[in-house]
Amino acid sequence: MTVPIPMIGVLPAKRTGPSHWWHGFIAMLRWEITNMRLLLPLTVVVQVLFGAGFVLGIGLFFEDIPSRAALFLSTGATTITLIMVGLVMGPQLVAQQKLEGTYDYMWSLPVPRSAATTAWITLNMIFAIPGMVVALLVASWRYGVDLEISFAIVPAVLLTLLTATLLGYALAHAVTKPEVTLLLTQVLIFGIVGFSPINYPQDNLPGWLAELHEYLPFLPMATVVRGGLTQGLVSNVVQSYVVLSAWGLIALGLVAGSLGRRR
Amino acid sequence: MTAPVSAPEIRRGLGYWLASYQHLLRFEITNLRVYLAIALVVQTLMGAGMAYMYGFYLGDLSPLGQTWLVTGIPALALFPIGFVVVPNVITQHKLQDTYDFVRSLPVPRMIPALSTFTVFTLLSLPGTALALFIANLRYDADLTPSWSLVPAVFLASLMATSVGYAVGHAIPDPRVTNLFLNILVFTVLLFTPIVVPIDLFPEWLATLHRFLPFFHMAQVLRAGLSVGLVADVATSYAVLAAWTAVSWGLAAWILGWRR
Repeated sequence: MTVPIPMIGVLPAKRTGPSHWWHGFIAMLRWEITNMRLLLPLTVVVQVLFGAGFVLGIGLFFEDIPSRAALFLSTGATTITLIMVGLVMGPQLVAQQKLEGTYDYMWSLPVPRSAATTAWITLNMIFAIPGMVVALLVASWRYGVDLEISFAIVPAVLLTLLTATLLGYALAHAVTKPEVTLLLTQVLIFGIVGFSPINYPQDNLPGWLAELHEYLPFLPMATVVRGGLTQGLVSNVVQSYVVLSAWGLIALGLVAGSLGRRR
Repeated sequence: MTAPVSAPEIRRGLGYWLASYQHLLRFEITNLRVYLAIALVVQTLMGAGMAYMYGFYLGDLSPLGQTWLVTGIPALALFPIGFVVVPNVITQHKLQDTYDFVRSLPVPRMIPALSTFTVFTLLSLPGTALALFIANLRYDADLTPSWSLVPAVFLASLMATSVGYAVGHAIPDPRVTNLFLNILVFTVLLFTPIVVPIDLFPEWLATLHRFLPFFHMAQVLRAGLSVGLVADVATSYAVLAAWTAVSWGLAAWILGWRR
């Protein structure tokens, strides 16, 4: 039996260039999907039920839901499913990897870190889009809301999901203790669902909280998605895109900082 | 040389029973001291937070609507202690492999259950009062507390703790318990007539809630805090008592098994 010996003078394949990056991306995406094959359908179902549940549940509390409230609720539930996937479910999965001890292994794989991150963002889209679509369908069936969907929905959804995923990714990687990450995601759910003007208009909040949300990413996320789904419901969409992009860049910086460190 | 053999202490009688109760109570409080503090904070936040949250969703509320909302808060503050914290504590024992140890302690089988009920019923009082106080600051509610609030809080809390105790023991896999509790919280916060009149709900859902405990919890507490909002509070007391009795039966059946 012979053991192949590397030939002297032949260098290993170079680990640079777009084709290496692309191979890394595809391999990581396949890896993540295979890894989650049991969890994936369940998670998509949970997202769908969460979105649809919100649309139906809140309506019960009104004697006769005003059409403006219904419109806010329908478009908000869409945004909430995107945020939940990126900012809550994502960090929880990373925390799970840390608890199971597979985290360090994942990052030792010979792929560019940006390719691994991009694969993660793609995976999040697979998670989020079905929930979002079902929430919207349930809303238009239940309340008969007047949606005017335009092409602006595409960049709106992409930017919202991208920013939420990057923020969640930064949270998951920058916080070393997984228990702390899990606790923070619980607090985030409470804050996003209850105290952010996503499912209801901003003027329902007290003045200082409404003011604060001008600078946080959640209201801009809801605004750009509403801008793509309705006509005339929201103003200053451009400003929301600017704020949201700024948050996306900050998150990207944080992710690059925490993933680029040698350990 | 042989050690003098003394007859073992007799393990029955009222004295033994009371001593066991006292020991287990101390055991439970010491064991959970950090967790109990967290539970208290979570409960207050959940009760008071939900009061604000529902207000944001509902927009401008009529004075009557505000009274309904505020009188629903104690039920929302009591709910997580019994239905979430108690099963979680049992789940923790299972995950940390201390579950069988606690069950093997030489005390009557009823004592661990009683000490759990005592600790969590008492624990839920300050958080509930605080949540109600905070909610009342925010809204202009018309509250007229009466003495019937005392049995209402006691029974609602006991019922919640008992059901949570039975659920914690009945579901063998901690992960299933966890999933079940998450679904329960979501359902109770969104699909239960606690802060609004039950008439707003579709008929089939309202009928379902007349058999579930959550609506009745809110009813007895609301009757203790207001006048004229609640009809037929006796039925609500009866339903709560029935849920308590059934969960005791279930817990006794499960804990009575030899393993």
